[in-house]
Amino acid sequence: MVGRSAPPAHLAVRGIHKRFGGVHALKGVDFEVARGEVMALVGDNGAGKSTLMKVLAGALTADEGQFFLDDRPVGVNSPNDAAALGIQIVYQDLALCENLDVAANLSLGTEPVKPGWGFLPRLLRPLDELEMEVRARSAIDRLEVRTLQSVRAKVGGLSGGQRQAIAIARAVGAQSTVVMLDEPTAALGVAQTRQVLEVVKRMRETGHAVVYISHNMRDIFEVSDRICVLRHGSNVATYRTADTNPDEIVVAMTRGLDPSTSDAA
Amino acid sequence: MQPDARLSLLDRFRALRRTQFGTFVPVLFALAVIWGYFGLVMPLYDLATGAADSFRVIFLSPRNIYNLFMQSSVIATLAVGITVVLLLGDIDLSAAATAGVCAALLGVLVLAGVPGWLACLIVMAIGTLMGLAQGLLVAYVGIPAFVVTLAGLLGFQGLMQKILPTGNLNVSDPFVRGFARVLIPDLWGVALGIVVVALFAYGSLRKQMKRRARGLEIDSPLALWGQVFLFGVIVISVILTLNAYRSLPLLLVLLVGITGLLGWITTSTPFGRALFAVGGNAESARRVGMKVKRIRAAGFGIVGLMAAIGGIFGASRYGSVSYTAFAGGSLLLEAIGAAVIGGTSLFGGRGSVWNAILGALVIGSLGNGLDLTGASAADKLMVSGAILLLAVAIDAVSRGDSAGSR
Repeated sequence: MVGRSAPPAHLAVRGIHKRFGGVHALKGVDFEVARGEVMALVGDNGAGKSTLMKVLAGALTADEGQFFLDDRPVGVNSPNDAAALGIQIVYQDLALCENLDVAANLSLGTEPVKPGWGFLPRLLRPLDELEMEVRARSAIDRLEVRTLQSVRAKVGGLSGGQRQAIAIARAVGAQSTVVMLDEPTAALGVAQTRQVLEVVKRMRETGHAVVYISHNMRDIFEVSDRICVLRHGSNVATYRTADTNPDEIVVAMTRGLDPSTSDAA
Repeated sequence: MQPDARLSLLDRFRALRRTQFGTFVPVLFALAVIWGYFGLVMPLYDLATGAADSFRVIFLSPRNIYNLFMQSSVIATLAVGITVVLLLGDIDLSAAATAGVCAALLGVLVLAGVPGWLACLIVMAIGTLMGLAQGLLVAYVGIPAFVVTLAGLLGFQGLMQKILPTGNLNVSDPFVRGFARVLIPDLWGVALGIVVVALFAYGSLRKQMKRRARGLEIDSPLALWGQVFLFGVIVISVILTLNAYRSLPLLLVLLVGITGLLGWITTSTPFGRALFAVGGNAESARRVGMKVKRIRAAGFGIVGLMAAIGGIFGASRYGSVSYTAFAGGSLLLEAIGAAVIGGTSLFGGRGSVWNAILGALVIGSLGNGLDLTGASAADKLMVSGAILLLAVAIDAVSRGDSAGSR
């Protein structure tokens, strides 16, 4: 496999198996991603990308396999386990509340409350709206989302690219080190896609380990450092983006490494 | 996205609706139209056609305004509660029946010699439990709220008839009657109003200073002072008008106080934020770790509590509990109508308890005004229907593109 000389893995999984009844969706997949790296995860439909991603996020539990975070074995059996380890996922549907403003969405579920109201249950203490806005501003500034005018704008009124950026900012803001993006540009136009790709590049600079799932070769070659190709629930290969080209990746996705032996794998 | 070179009237309207004060605009407008019609146009018309020899101020007289506020208070109490479940994207059809059961129970309890304050606490607890029980069925068993509360509506109507076999019971307990009878002395009422306005102004200014200190975007001074001024004018003029007839009734102070508390809970606490989040996107709320089921159940508990309070207020105001005044009458639909006219979305995630009070005033003003003009019950029903339809149409139009994508 290419990529042995890559930076030390932050999150790594070895020999992941996942079966759904009679369907063997993942057949011993290895995967790794380092900090400050964008690892693209590609494969044809049914290759096991989504299953692998859900296993990494704790939404599905692997039947077999090991997880390592900075070479330390860890267990990920629920989304809460993954979140506690700093693994965040941005699903394709983004899961934003359109009726709330940007600041509220960014701190959803972890709202800051004012100190000094300890006699009330946490759910009824006054929200610290200003702290919320300060946090939102810093999260947005860190990702350099320049088109966003105000963190007090309702998400329902924003463009698709801005929403994607906010969903990413929420994942980044939650003390995460690994952020997985599922088809972040699938529904976006050219300008919006550009905006999201800029945000993804910023995440590399902030030292996050980014897993980028996409079908769009142009986007992948623009943002990724390495490309992991899956086929029929198994690894085909991991390429350095600089050493390969879209044709090679497409061939690997559709036919595997060697056409004569691919069906046996 | 369309190029936004030219803002159409509709876009401007939508932009206005998105501002903090903008949510009040449609309902205030409706209120102004109704008051203008009954208070100015009708008397002028009578004067012009010779039906009256002088300009008769009936609708806008302090006496009628006082009655109007009192008439609307029970609707408003229920509407405030219903707003909470509407925010969740659910509905409660049983609120008026719950209020009826609580009022009937209250009457029976005080008749049996239970002290008034204790009876009130008991029925508030029972109302909360009735709401909570339905909420548990909705949240944990997964039955649609419409069905659960429809069953509640029928069941509680029957329960009220069981408690009051004659369908009517006088309530003469001085504590219970006190809510509607006790009046705040004129001067105290004005002082209370000034204190509330001063606190509002202080709070707004302090927030503005803090925003500036932390380098956040600040509201324009015009908007800030406009808000304070408008708020002050409304509060003081309401109190002065009520003083001109009798005085500020304790009932209204309690209603505003409870609404203020609920308003604060829904907008300024993590629980309130969770209400909006669940109503806006329940899946999103679940993914960020909110306990969606508990929050929904709690929302129904709050409606139950507000229904019980509405029952107490109603018993206090009418001096009696009757089947038709609560469970069997039009109270439920008026309360839901008030919440929706106030601008609370039936689809969840958008609305405010304060708007519910204004919506209740719209419904109350319609009924009161049509009564004064001698309209029949049939006219009242048809006009109320038209207003409700108009309110929902305004809601749908101002939702705009976000409604189209859902």
